[in-house]
Amino acid sequence: MKINDNCVGCGQCTSFCRQGAIVVMGKARITDACVECEICAPYCPVKAIEVPI
Amino acid sequence: MRVVVIGAGLGGLLSAARLSKAGNSIEVFERLPITGGRFTNLEYRGFQLSSGAFHMLPHGPGGPLAKLLKEIGADVRIVRSEKTTIRMPLEKGDADYRQGFRDIPFNEFQKPLSNRDRLKSAYLIVSTRKYPPEGSTLKEWISSQVKDEWLVKLADSFCGWSLSMRSDEVSVEEVFEIIENLYRFGGPGVPMGGCKGITGALEKVITANGGTIRTKTEVSKILVENGKAAGVVVDGTEHKADLVISNIGHAATAGLCSEILSKEKHAEYFRALEALQPSAGIKICLSAEEPLIGHSGVLLTPYARRINGINEVTQVDPSLAPPGKHLTMSHQHVAPENIGKLEEEIEMGLQDLKEIFPGKKYEVLLIQSYHDSWPVNRASSGTDPGNNTPIPDLYVVGDGAKGEGGIEVEGIALGVARTMEKILG
Ligand SMILES: Cc1cc2nc3c(=O)[nH]c(=O)nc-3n(C[C@H](O)[C@H](O)[C@H](O)COP(=O)(O)OP(=O)(O)OC[C@H]3O[C@@H](n4cnc5c(N)ncnc54)[C@H](O)[C@@H]3O)c2cc1C
Ligand code: SF4
Ligand code: SF4
Repeated sequence: MKINDNCVGCGQCTSFCRQGAIVVMGKARITDACVECEICAPYCPVKAIEVPI
Repeated sequence: MRVVVIGAGLGGLLSAARLSKAGNSIEVFERLPITGGRFTNLEYRGFQLSSGAFHMLPHGPGGPLAKLLKEIGADVRIVRSEKTTIRMPLEKGDADYRQGFRDIPFNEFQKPLSNRDRLKSAYLIVSTRKYPPEGSTLKEWISSQVKDEWLVKLADSFCGWSLSMRSDEVSVEEVFEIIENLYRFGGPGVPMGGCKGITGALEKVITANGGTIRTKTEVSKILVENGKAAGVVVDGTEHKADLVISNIGHAATAGLCSEILSKEKHAEYFRALEALQPSAGIKICLSAEEPLIGHSGVLLTPYARRINGINEVTQVDPSLAPPGKHLTMSHQHVAPENIGKLEEEIEMGLQDLKEIFPGKKYEVLLIQSYHDSWPVNRASSGTDPGNNTPIPDLYVVGDGAKGEGGIEVEGIALGVARTMEKILG
């Protein structure tokens, strides 16, 4: 998963990630705990989470 | 009438509920998998955090939003906050809270002033109700009346909390309108169940009246026929309607009808859109076993570096946190020039919290920042073009279309109420 420049740091994605794999501090950062389940992506209000193709 | 609503934020849901109750056929399209926009709950580690707002309505059970919810028949309970307090340094002259502090009730805000300034402010409190000042920023006006820096600090903290702006960015008219509304409608309150208590109740009204709300559904275009709004396009399919209500702000709405709106023909509208200034802010969510504030209102912190105010919503609704825990949330305004330095702004906020709550045990749950296309407010009240657009049968509602009078969700409710009057007569 990649976070693009649209990210405002609202933390919405963090609350939906079941792995606790998103840390936010002004911007989101995906940690090694990510299992690429893609659950978080549609919850981002500014389309900042890009799913790898 | 067939009505399409773009976006299931508070403004969209209020409009949809009101129109469905009046017997219209409603379809709401929401891009996200959840409804409520910046006014719903986010469940996180057993806490009901929020997608935006502080689970607080500026005028509680007496305000325009409460009134509209009642008219709509939405089943919500809003509890008035007991009080607002201000955290003061222990000694006059201290620049911060490091040497200790004491809290004073908001209505004693003149106490720290000199006798002379106190008399002056008592006179102003009476005279300005009759003759509200105009033509300057709040800061300029205060500085022209009272030399003491204290009132500017208090104004910054109040404007930061309630508008996510600084006193030199807000017009004095707007602030006096807010003060007048505080007299008229009363102070803040907390909805039971938090933001979702309200947006969830609105959804129930919509579905009970036969309306539909489709999540994960993005509107890609607004259809215009014979110069009037005629529906929307979703996933390549046209959905015809007699009326389109957009909850996504004027700029994004204009983007969905770019084939019709032209910068030349609608120059005035585009100029108004360019002038809109979204406000930025940071919310820090804390978990604590012992209460950090101890009352259900706002604690203003004018002597902090960045934090403007803090609330503790579990004082009203303990179910917003796991048993035995409190949910306490701080807000700090972010100046436009600091949006590129959010991490530094957050660090200052965290440092403030240490000084505001020394020796208290708390845990930082989540730090949430908002700006640009997902802001605290899309435009400050009184600066947006209102609810109409250049296209008939296309209205904009929400915090980028509040019109005059009323801040935050109260302004949204006033804008929706005015739009409903235009539509329903
Ligand atoms: C940190 C913070 C604290 C705040 N605190 C308070 C507070 O304590 N009290 C208060 O009164 N207010 C507060 N506010 C302000 C308040 O939360 C917002 O003003 C309000 O929620 C905005 O509602 P809205 O109707 O404008 O819709 P929004 O919440 O902006 O919703 C718009 C919806 O439209 C959807 N959408 C966008 N594009 C499309 C498309 N093309 N197709 C379909 N759907 C689309 C979005 O996904 C979104 O769900 C706060 C805001 C923030 C961010
Ligand atoms: S892809 Fe799944 S695991 Fe990875 S951050 Fe998103 S929700 Fe979490
Ligand atoms: S939801 Fe989107 S904008 Fe919000 S923090 Fe996550 S990636 Fe950033």
